[in-house]
Amino acid sequence: MHGWTGKILRVDLTSGKAWREDIPLELLHAYLGGRGLGVRLIRDYFMFDPFAPEMPLIFAVGPLCGTAAPTAARLTVVSRSPLTGTIYDCSAGGMFAWRLKAAGVDALFVTGRSARPVVLAINGEQAELLPALELWGKGVHDTVSALAGEGSVACIGPAGENGVLYANIMMGEGNSVGRGGLGAVMGGKGLKAVVVNGEGTTAVADRERFDHARQDVMRLFRASPVIFGELGISEYGTPALVDLMRQRRMAPTENFRKTVFPDSGNYSGPAIRKACGAKKDGCFGCPIQCKKSTPQGEPLPEYETVSHFGALNGIASLSAIVRANSLCNELGLDTISAAATLAAWGEAKGRFPAPDEVAPLLVEIAQRRGEGELLSLGSRRVAEALGKPGLSMSVKSLELPAYDPRGAYGMALAYCTSNRGGCHLRAYPISHEILRKPVPTDRFSFSGKARIIKIAEDTNAAVDSLVACKFSFFGATIEEYAELLSAASGMEYSPQSLKEIGERIYATERFYNCANGFTSADDLLPERFYEEPGSSGEGIDIPPIDRQRFNEELQKYYRIRGLTAEGTFADQGFLTRQP
Amino acid sequence: MRDQISKYTHKLISDRSALAGGIAFAAQDDTLITGGNADLALLAEEIISGLNCLGLVFARPSLPFADLLVRRAPAGEHSIVPRDTETRTFLHDIPFLRSFELGDDPARRIAQLLGNRKGVIVEGIGIVASGAVTIEQAYINYSSVFHSTFVKYLQDVLNEGFLLPGEEDLFSSFRSEWLRHLSAEGLVFRTGPLTLPEEIIREVETVGRYTVERGLVDSFFGNISARAGDMIYISQTAASLDELAGCIDPVPMDNSTTTGITASSELLAHRRIYEESGAAVILHGHPKFAVVMSMLCEEKDCPIRDCWKDCPKVRFLGDTPVVAGEIGAGGLAKRVPPVIGGPGKAVVYGHGVFTIGRKGFEEAFRALVEVENWCRDEYFRLLA
Repeated sequence: MHGWTGKILRVDLTSGKAWREDIPLELLHAYLGGRGLGVRLIRDYFMFDPFAPEMPLIFAVGPLCGTAAPTAARLTVVSRSPLTGTIYDCSAGGMFAWRLKAAGVDALFVTGRSARPVVLAINGEQAELLPALELWGKGVHDTVSALAGEGSVACIGPAGENGVLYANIMMGEGNSVGRGGLGAVMGGKGLKAVVVNGEGTTAVADRERFDHARQDVMRLFRASPVIFGELGISEYGTPALVDLMRQRRMAPTENFRKTVFPDSGNYSGPAIRKACGAKKDGCFGCPIQCKKSTPQGEPLPEYETVSHFGALNGIASLSAIVRANSLCNELGLDTISAAATLAAWGEAKGRFPAPDEVAPLLVEIAQRRGEGELLSLGSRRVAEALGKPGLSMSVKSLELPAYDPRGAYGMALAYCTSNRGGCHLRAYPISHEILRKPVPTDRFSFSGKARIIKIAEDTNAAVDSLVACKFSFFGATIEEYAELLSAASGMEYSPQSLKEIGERIYATERFYNCANGFTSADDLLPERFYEEPGSSGEGIDIPPIDRQRFNEELQKYYRIRGLTAEGTFADQGFLTRQP
Repeated sequence: MRDQISKYTHKLISDRSALAGGIAFAAQDDTLITGGNADLALLAEEIISGLNCLGLVFARPSLPFADLLVRRAPAGEHSIVPRDTETRTFLHDIPFLRSFELGDDPARRIAQLLGNRKGVIVEGIGIVASGAVTIEQAYINYSSVFHSTFVKYLQDVLNEGFLLPGEEDLFSSFRSEWLRHLSAEGLVFRTGPLTLPEEIIREVETVGRYTVERGLVDSFFGNISARAGDMIYISQTAASLDELAGCIDPVPMDNSTTTGITASSELLAHRRIYEESGAAVILHGHPKFAVVMSMLCEEKDCPIRDCWKDCPKVRFLGDTPVVAGEIGAGGLAKRVPPVIGGPGKAVVYGHGVFTIGRKGFEEAFRALVEVENWCRDEYFRLLA
């Protein structure tokens, strides 16, 4: 078999059993891998509670993992989010994905709940559960160090063990499976870590065609100012966006009360390089190397993290931000949700946390003690508990990242149509509304955005199933990746057929959410964005979002997707017609 | 979206890449809308219905080169491969359908091919191109196919001569009727040095528009900048040179901020040219005859295959140096700066022309005209 292994490793933590099964080839062709495969595999389980033992936690790689396809050494983890209640997926790059594929599986499917903490150790064909009592309670660094000799590690920190609703799964190289609290799902199963090793290779059907397509991708990377430009993410990492968001006046500040933070220059890309001696770093096998680390190898914060621990909380101290980032990584906390939850809490209390108060609060969150008990539940539950529900800047309980929707109307719509809640990466309209890729669109217009968002959601669902990094598409397009996939798998795929696969995946996710009670009432922004302006100035006006126009475009989106006016499925038999 | 269809219909006419009356657009919002030539619009509507994209243009090109390339292609071939660097980078190849391959359901056949690539040539009908995100993107892809077929056809004719009945007559009418005299006469330039940001930005906008109006470049191919002290004012990536208002990024020479992440992919080349040549302004475009002539090499038994990126030599078109180099972070930014300072102009293999002005844009603009006119004259001299 080319591209795929055709195998799934099933692990039942309750019984302690692990076994391999075949995955029907038609499912792999129809869902590719990663997000798509995970979404298909969860079909019989999606209505279980996220913490129910029956709820699977699925690690799925894609058909390009294990090949030299740029940015494709990635996997996606799929389950149901305890933070949002939606179907949830998140991808991460690194050696873990590569080794999971090399162990001979396209997916790892974990169910059940272990009576005692365990580590799942996979070494080629062998899989066993090892006692992990001595690791329980340890931070990410110590856990990874303890297991690194056995292979690549994905683990949780104290936040995941204690059920923090935005706990991450942390990969050994410093990447994270973030946002929706899948670390808490893993912790709820008593699974401290997965360590994997393997020596298998991924067969490529047509090497010459594959190499040609790879060269096409690399040429487009080099032609992209965002990727390899001298001010791009390869040089400065995603903090390259700090100055741009300041200039566009759409940097969320003080819990989105403002959209300009005067001190954002303290944590811009050039400022981090100067202050921290940032060097290039990144996912295994990735040519872009957008991550940055200190000379000692300590990962430095990305754009969302610096902006939310910075502007969103009114903190100008770079050292405090770097410290918060490192602590989140060590505790296994999502930085966006942690910072946004602190900001909502701060506004509700009438005072944002001071720089030196952040670190102790993060520790309390991970341990769920003191103020951390409430803060561990995320901003929506915090704001409701404090009697100020309007202060949670979230959609479907997922905290919004660092692009103010009043500064990019496609982004406003995409936050709401995202199947996993207020996420920028589902449709990623920042690419065209701000970064002018593949072509610019008017960021202050809703015109055409419903169709654009729908197409981008479909495309990105396919990208997340290959699994490739979104940043590749600041240069390359799905056209070149379809060629890579065709060459690798020996099956013919086109950009159009990939988008059709993406459409199937997206609709399936939406169906799951609707079946779990989500409707158009959940597809709305916080009231603040319809009622309060951002920080206008320098010739740029940031008015509140026109609610009527927003709703019109949302209804257009529903029509384009074939949904009812309530955003639901008229056809309850949708799933039965899907492969 | 109707305003966008109207805008890009007029652009296709004004840039003379399509025949007035032979242009149709289709666009999908929550409903499907079309505009333009009724027959083409009907076809466009059927094609876009089978695609997951927002916009589509189907137009009859103003020149017969795309059709001629199809007719000249050997029987077993189904696509042409652009030889110029820019369009090859973004298009890879351009599939075509011969008339007899359209069958009973031409829309389905065309949609199948367009589902794979950004543009397709349909013999006897025209060029069809899609835009995943905007109608403008469909227009850009159409322009790329038009540009690419223009360059390849001229190159093929130079290398292989006329092969088809009537081909030479068509080429003659192209030369006598379609081509226009290129000049800078009648244009008004500000006298440099330019120092005030507002003054610089207005001049960059004006000169960008000149380059398109005078037929030197297609609007989306090229970039332009001016330096004042420690700042470079440069056109943004994916900006149309005739619509630069609001699309010029101020970028500090020392990279102390990254707001210029949206600047042209050639920012690095511009910066190095400023550093090495002392230029005040830079113009970069893709005038077609310069692109064609830059790929003409008489070297025998050369071991280099990827000339466009690997050729280490400095060749000359008249007194203009020609160097190789990929766009963006490729080799172009290394190879152009050392050669451009003296002559004030340089050509990049299969790509386009850079020119500089020591004080203002007049010198750069006149140099761009001069290079293209020289290449045009030389092309026809060689063809004769």
